[in-house]
Amino acid sequence: MTTTLLIFHGLCAVFMLGALTHQTLSVWWPAPAAAGPRSMFASFRAVRAAAYANTIVVLYVMTATLGSIIYPAYRIGIRVFLEDLRLGSANGVFELKEHFVAVGLGLLPAYWYYWRQPLAPEHALTRKAVTGLLAAIVWYNFIVGHVLNSIRGFGP
Amino acid sequence: MSVARVFPVFSIAFAVLYVLAMDNNWALFTYLARAGEFHPLVYTPPTPRAGPAMYWYGWLATSALGAVAISAIAYALPPYWAKRTWLAAPWSHLSWVVPVAVMFVFVYLLRGWFIRVA
Repeated sequence: MTTTLLIFHGLCAVFMLGALTHQTLSVWWPAPAAAGPRSMFASFRAVRAAAYANTIVVLYVMTATLGSIIYPAYRIGIRVFLEDLRLGSANGVFELKEHFVAVGLGLLPAYWYYWRQPLAPEHALTRKAVTGLLAAIVWYNFIVGHVLNSIRGFGP
Repeated sequence: MSVARVFPVFSIAFAVLYVLAMDNNWALFTYLARAGEFHPLVYTPPTPRAGPAMYWYGWLATSALGAVAISAIAYALPPYWAKRTWLAAPWSHLSWVVPVAVMFVFVYLLRGWFIRVA
């Protein structure tokens, strides 16, 4: 059961990572309004960023909820294992992950507010910063989760 | 203006309350991972058989409750206050400056995992 939830947790994280990266790049590095064919990278940035906001909020809540359900299994099975191996840094980066997840959860209402339609031009900079921060949190959490899962993983 | 105008207040308050809750262990409840039990407030299991006590969920609940209370106070203020204060530049930047600062505080608080702390 835990492994199944972990896979869903990872899948939700992947979807969110894609959506948030599209959105972040499109606001921090907008694609040029070219009439001709665009490069793959320019196309990646040429998205309607506001359309992603609600989906990102839902995916973040889903990912965090699934993570919080499997967290006790990590606490009992993985953390103890890492402590036995004296992998303090691995435990430390996970501790940061859990707190960054919480900060991200708290950030969601502000994120949603600043992406509300119609977009307020006076909040453009705040919107960019909040989006960038959420993307940084999600990327950090994704990489740490993946690395820690590779160290030990779930299962017997 | 709708209730959404206090959402940035919630985010700022949540970040500050969360780091305070974690550092002072103000957990609204405790979860015992192995026993699968919830206990109100901070609870220390009498024997190790119950497994480690998890306070993270309790810190989230404490912070959310506190942030809702602060947001309710902000909501009670006249709507033009929001436009003049937390929704106006440069104060609107607190929505991301405070969470970033809180994240650095966490790095500092948890430095013992990475370096030797005297």
